[in-house]
Amino acid sequence: MTKIDRRAFIKYSAAAGAATAFAASGISAGAQEISRTQQGQRMALLMDNSLCVNCQSCRVACQNENSLPVSEKYIRFDYVDSGTWPDVTHHVNRHSCQHCADAPCVDICPVEALFKGPQGFTHLDFEACIGCGGCLMVCPFEVPVISEEPASGKPKMYKCTACRHLISQGKKPACATTCITNAVDYGPWDEMLSKAEKRVEALRKQYPQASVYGKTQQDGLGLLLILRTPAQEYPHLI
Amino acid sequence: MGIDRRTFLSHTAKAAVAAAALGVIDMRVWAQTVQDAPVVKKPSLCNMCTSECGMHIHVKNGRPWKVTGHPDHPVSRGKLCPRAHAGLHWIYDPARVKTPLKRVGEWQFEPISWEQATDQISDQLKRIIAEHGTESVFGAQYPRTTGSLYLNRLMHALGVSTTQSHEATCQAGRRIAMSHTFGAAFDADWENSDYLLFIGRNMGEAVRTASATAFAKAIERGAKVVCVDPRLSQSAAITEWVPIKPGTDLALLLALCNVLVTENLFDRQFISNHTNGFVPFRRHVVQYSPHWAEEITGVPAEKIRQIAHEMAAAAPHCAVDTGWKAAVGSCYANSTDTGRAVAYVNGLLGNIGQRGGISVPPGVVFATPQFPAPSAPTAPRNDGVGTEYPLASAESGLPHLTMQRAKEGKVKAGFIRHFNPVRSFPDYDHMRAGMRALDLLVVFETHMSETAIEAHYILPEPSFAEREEVVKAVGDTVAMRTKAIDSVHPQTKSFDEIITMLAYKLGVGEYFSFTLDQWNEALLADQPFSLADLKRAGTLAAEVSDEPVLPAGCGSLIPPEQQAPKERPRAFLVSGGDRNPVPQLFTPSGRFEFYSQRFANAGFEPIAKWYPPKTGLDLGSAEFRVVHGKQAYHSHVATNNIPILAQITKDYDTNRLWMNRSRAEQLGISDNDTIRMRARNGRTAEARVMVTERVHPDMLFSPAGYGNRTPYYKTSKELGGFNPHDLAEYQHETISGHTMMSELIVEVERA
Ligand code: SF4
Ligand code: SF4
Ligand code: SF4
Ligand code: SF4
Repeated sequence: MTKIDRRAFIKYSAAAGAATAFAASGISAGAQEISRTQQGQRMALLMDNSLCVNCQSCRVACQNENSLPVSEKYIRFDYVDSGTWPDVTHHVNRHSCQHCADAPCVDICPVEALFKGPQGFTHLDFEACIGCGGCLMVCPFEVPVISEEPASGKPKMYKCTACRHLISQGKKPACATTCITNAVDYGPWDEMLSKAEKRVEALRKQYPQASVYGKTQQDGLGLLLILRTPAQEYPHLI
Repeated sequence: MGIDRRTFLSHTAKAAVAAAALGVIDMRVWAQTVQDAPVVKKPSLCNMCTSECGMHIHVKNGRPWKVTGHPDHPVSRGKLCPRAHAGLHWIYDPARVKTPLKRVGEWQFEPISWEQATDQISDQLKRIIAEHGTESVFGAQYPRTTGSLYLNRLMHALGVSTTQSHEATCQAGRRIAMSHTFGAAFDADWENSDYLLFIGRNMGEAVRTASATAFAKAIERGAKVVCVDPRLSQSAAITEWVPIKPGTDLALLLALCNVLVTENLFDRQFISNHTNGFVPFRRHVVQYSPHWAEEITGVPAEKIRQIAHEMAAAAPHCAVDTGWKAAVGSCYANSTDTGRAVAYVNGLLGNIGQRGGISVPPGVVFATPQFPAPSAPTAPRNDGVGTEYPLASAESGLPHLTMQRAKEGKVKAGFIRHFNPVRSFPDYDHMRAGMRALDLLVVFETHMSETAIEAHYILPEPSFAEREEVVKAVGDTVAMRTKAIDSVHPQTKSFDEIITMLAYKLGVGEYFSFTLDQWNEALLADQPFSLADLKRAGTLAAEVSDEPVLPAGCGSLIPPEQQAPKERPRAFLVSGGDRNPVPQLFTPSGRFEFYSQRFANAGFEPIAKWYPPKTGLDLGSAEFRVVHGKQAYHSHVATNNIPILAQITKDYDTNRLWMNRSRAEQLGISDNDTIRMRARNGRTAEARVMVTERVHPDMLFSPAGYGNRTPYYKTSKELGGFNPHDLAEYQHETISGHTMMSELIVEVERA
């Protein structure tokens, strides 16, 4: 059901991108958001790990939205358990592309398959990608996964593309739409940051080391994280 | 609109393919055309668990491509859980039943025509009823609108009184408990609460979408949320967790009552104006001190006192959640009384009908369709409901008892729709033997489940995306499933069609003198919208009654003639108000009952008292209690055959049994080892373990939903996994007759 969609979409995304953006200006619903993104406002995904119940709905919604093969996923999770029964804690953290403002993957990609979009996210031209793994070597968060594309048999890189086809129309990414606990949000970068800071302030009563992650790393991240415990505890954070 | 959009869509796609094949257009243009094909959003209800979240199926080129939550549906509110997304893959599952099938050998079938199948079924059923009476027949299903109407109506038309559901493996205990204390199993008003106490319920992993959202909202708002659980679940991990010894929640709750009563922290006004039996209750709970409870539960007395005080301070805008399955549903011998104790704490807090307390919401009342209806059958039931189990629910029945009667030769025929009791009830051997003892088993299914493969006839339905159903009242809305795509397997028939066909052959066609559309129109007669409107919108705000309406499947078990005459004050949950009038309740007295005369009359304790699980609390040095619970991405042993969900299990290796680290060390067991389990009944099984600090030392936690036995589920077979129902034995609790799923003790060694 999905192969054509995915490949067609990614293959011809550059041409289609312009066309959809143009067409979108005629849509009245959500017009305000559209005009914002047309101006290229910097946007962010905000992941509040303190509300995540790890249901994996974001992962599966993303797989459908982006027509991924069953074994590929743009969202993974890291888990950190500490203590001994009965004084145990369990924390989760979403591990997916952090959408670095200063993105080494974009710089190294030899075929310019990776590129920055107007909202500040790192997108991928799936057709152009030759699966060389250069991006994986330089990504500070160990995000890119190189895997064979089942339809073509060619190696390709898989990572979150920030639902470019949705955000370019002013819509929310699939993971933010579906999240059953509202742990994932999407909006202007500064709004997301202040929302995160407010939440962290409340969390500090119980978790004194709670923090917002992504304000400064790589000149700022397009995926901001709310953490209850220090970033060093999570295997993929720097 | 003149042209059907679907026709238009498929034409565009076909034209594009033809053009591309002829080389008329280049692939780039073709791909663009396919990509740009319009997306049609068809309203539907998810079918992956019983919650039936409202959603839109996005159809492009005639294929469903994705689903999104219906923003107006009260159970999804625009969100969906992972199973809903994966449900799309169910539609094209190779294990779908594609044509009517007739059994020709052990798990072997051959196609048969609808005409022949229904002829043979009706001939055999007529013979069975003539020889053995209508008490030798049962009908069972997951109780949802279409099945409840058509299957139960057919059974009643035939004079069969045994109609059943899955409840004995679910909320059976809770429903009796809540019915007999405050009238029905109402939910807590999570979203608006200041303090929520969950007893074993795992809102984030046993998902009803909007309930999980409301749970998270309460946390985000800064409400205090406490999860009592023998395991640090994902829900417990984002709240305050109170670990407890499995099977002892009743002691904790009675101790909370003790503190509230002895320290005068209860709501005096509510107690004197709206309750019965407080005086004997007060005397009764004096014995259950926090110290006493600490000995049994392992929860420090100080913590118990603290919870009681904090809740009293938040009252009435606080609640002990009424649970679902877990400790209050169908796990332990003491689950029903654990449910009553949950109700007692709420009664003491005076939170019934209050903001943030136990919500008693108004609901939708449908018009009554005026088609000829069969009268209620008078034949005895074959599962003991109303006789050995005077309080048990006649709506849900006791399928495991029926299987016992089948093994004894007393039950001869069964009709089962979209329900898999062979795999989802404890004691696979027992349930299977019961099914195999039947002379006639007809299963209506989309998939080759463990129950379907024991049938004499399997009659295939279209999947949820391909069919319409009876409309459903949900909160203050009406919702329905509409046909999103054409039939994938043209030989399938929708349930209304199948049952109507069977009814005519069985000579009771007069009770099915309506089409599905006519029935739906009749139900909606008093609503401000038409059936056509509803089909377009999927979910619509409805005319709401000014009396509380019992939520489907959670209603009162007190027969209406035994409830107090109705003079109900009319205001219920009005958000914002500090005090709402207390509604008259669906109990015999119309009041909250600390003391239940109905329980006493049935030979049970009128006030719940402490008793341990049937298997006791003392375990041998290598013994564990097996307790199962949900992961958010699987349900009902029905989803682990879906590759996109099975992949989650594989990625995180989550179909292992959780074993406490120190116990594992004592037994020389390491993470990932395979263990051999021997149940006290002698049955054995092997499984891999995950060694963790997150689980009580007494308990092996078994993630539910694995271990399919049907050979038709390839992905599931490859995934493997343990199912405790292979070890558990057939048993029934005394009050509700439920299956006591966690009364299972195993001795463990490294394999
Ligand atoms: S959907 Fe939300 S709650 Fe579920 S795993 Fe994703 S972020 Fe966590
Ligand atoms: S996280 Fe890795 S893949 Fe994503 S933008 Fe940064 S460097 Fe690139
Ligand atoms: S794998 Fe693809 S995206 Fe990554 S650097 Fe190589 S070509 Fe670029
Ligand atoms: S933003 Fe889109 S691509 Fe990225 S994880 Fe979310 S759903 Fe997937």
